[in-house]
Amino acid sequence: MDIENENPDVSPATTGPDFAAHVPATDATPSAPPTGSPDGAVAALVEAEAPVEAPVAAEAAFAPRTDFARLAAQTDAIRTEIGKIIVGQAELLELLLTAILADGHVLLEGVPGVAKTLMAKLLARTLEVPFSRIQFTPDLMPSDVLGTSVFRQNKADFEFRRGPIFASVVLIDEINRAPAKTQSALFEVMEERTVTQDGTTYPMTEPFLVLATQNPIEQEGTYRLPEAQLDRFLFKLHVGYPTLAEEVQILTGHHAGLGSTNLEAVRPILSATDLAALRQQVSQQRVEANILEYIAKLVGQTRAHKSLYLGASPRASLALLNGAKALAALRGRDFVTPEDVQFLAPSVLRHRIMLTPEREMEGGTPDDVVKQIMQQIEVPR
Amino acid sequence: MRVLRYLGKLRLHRGGRWSRRTLLALCLAGGAASPGWAKPAPAAEKPAGERPKPAANPLPADRTTRLPARRYDAARLRELASQRDFRYVEPDQSTSVWDAFWARIWRWLGSMLRTPTGRVTWKYGVYAAILVALVYAVLKLLEVDVTAAFGRSGRRGQLAYDTGAENIHEVDFRTRIAEAEAAGNFRLAIRLGYLEVLKHLTDGGLIQWQPDKTNHAYLLELPAGPLRDAFRAATREFEYVWYGDLPLNAALYQQARATQRAVSTRLAGNSRAAVPAPNAFAD
Repeated sequence: MDIENENPDVSPATTGPDFAAHVPATDATPSAPPTGSPDGAVAALVEAEAPVEAPVAAEAAFAPRTDFARLAAQTDAIRTEIGKIIVGQAELLELLLTAILADGHVLLEGVPGVAKTLMAKLLARTLEVPFSRIQFTPDLMPSDVLGTSVFRQNKADFEFRRGPIFASVVLIDEINRAPAKTQSALFEVMEERTVTQDGTTYPMTEPFLVLATQNPIEQEGTYRLPEAQLDRFLFKLHVGYPTLAEEVQILTGHHAGLGSTNLEAVRPILSATDLAALRQQVSQQRVEANILEYIAKLVGQTRAHKSLYLGASPRASLALLNGAKALAALRGRDFVTPEDVQFLAPSVLRHRIMLTPEREMEGGTPDDVVKQIMQQIEVPR
Repeated sequence: MRVLRYLGKLRLHRGGRWSRRTLLALCLAGGAASPGWAKPAPAAEKPAGERPKPAANPLPADRTTRLPARRYDAARLRELASQRDFRYVEPDQSTSVWDAFWARIWRWLGSMLRTPTGRVTWKYGVYAAILVALVYAVLKLLEVDVTAAFGRSGRRGQLAYDTGAENIHEVDFRTRIAEAEAAGNFRLAIRLGYLEVLKHLTDGGLIQWQPDKTNHAYLLELPAGPLRDAFRAATREFEYVWYGDLPLNAALYQQARATQRAVSTRLAGNSRAAVPAPNAFAD
């Protein structure tokens, strides 16, 4: 076959380490002019030696087919607004933006004093939508969250008074300080975006986002959240301590009088309409079939891993897919790569899996197991 | 005779039941009434020939003859045991089949353990069980995964995962790229070309090939410089083509292939610079 004879890649096969035998020794030469047919392309390759410098036109040719300019501008503006008050936490903010674009709820976990609540409040301020905050306490009742029916004497009927959950962005602070009874009030509204009271179903307005904060369960006076509720959070994000440089920056700003939490300085960026448009764009991201299989394998392995008592549900697969699409958009791509999936896997899976008692006693963490699972599965390429 | 008559009267009067006291009284009375009973008359002299010979020494006990061991007649015992009169414990009629099964098992075990072999087995079995428990506790404390020694790698799910299906060191890239080009499958050709670049980088010792690593993980392994920039460009194009499903025409294909060749060229250049022998990679 002509192609085999002419293509330098198809010269008599070499074995062993002399793989570079067919690599041209000379440096940059311009590539051959494009041809219109496959044969022409191959013939051109025969003539062309590999150029060292990629053509400038490559950047334009290999570019996203979706216009992410608006998305990039608005998310950058949110980063800037939050950066006025929060120092560092760039990765956390990226994950929060991912969750907003993927239409998912977020659980922020961290020890007291690492600006979990502040981050959630600031993020809520950048969204131009109704906001409410619920402080979860041990004596909180479901009706305190959802609302309650009140008897109206003048009309001799019951009127449903909506609870604080009826907002677009709901900040639930210290969510694990309320017992399971109160937590169960959130099941329906978090998944189905409706509240059913006295036989009447009340839909939530779009967008509907729950940002919850909690201290690690080892802390005093906290309850473990039910698995069914944890599964309803798209991400569980760990809010860690700042780095030394960041902490110095916090102290410097505070010392200069700039570090006060002046929430008014943060202006809203995204309206509900804007957010809906961005979400629409994200939903149209391309996902190659191998990536879907990769996600399914990752989540499926959690159900077979010997260190896990409880694996992740199909809802986790959907969360990983939606999150990866949003993250790819944030990173300026119109398609999902395994990189996106691997980046999000710990945040999506860590609260959906349960370690076996033996593994827990050995000091293992869900993140360790997720990492182990990722190492066991081949990246599709 | 008076005594006998008295006895006859006693039978009549007391219904034939004598008490010890009555008998004692009778004996005393008889002794007093008959002086001959207290002092018997001397026996008549026997002739010398009829006198009993003095008793001979007794024979020693026979300790050599083996006496037949007395055994119970097993058949007779079974026959007796089957008779209702000899069944001292009535079986509970309400016993379930499961309980009866376990009762039989325990009876069988009991009979086994009553034998000398059973006793020895039981004794050393307990020691063995204690030893196993101790070893298990030590292994758990040392966090040794014994199951790994037997090649167990966790429970398998229902999904048949084919990890490591393609080893880049075994693929004949030239042939396969040529086939893909001939078939007009530029997308596959770009993928194969990128895998070939990864193979070159691995063979050059610049990256450590592992199937679970992403392209950007390899990018981070490369030292900053022209080679890294070239690989970044090749990675970007590969991702747009393979993951992004970018439609390729011949021109774009050339462009992408040229970028991939650039990495190999840079790599060859680096190798020539690093190795004193100028034609280390030449054929």
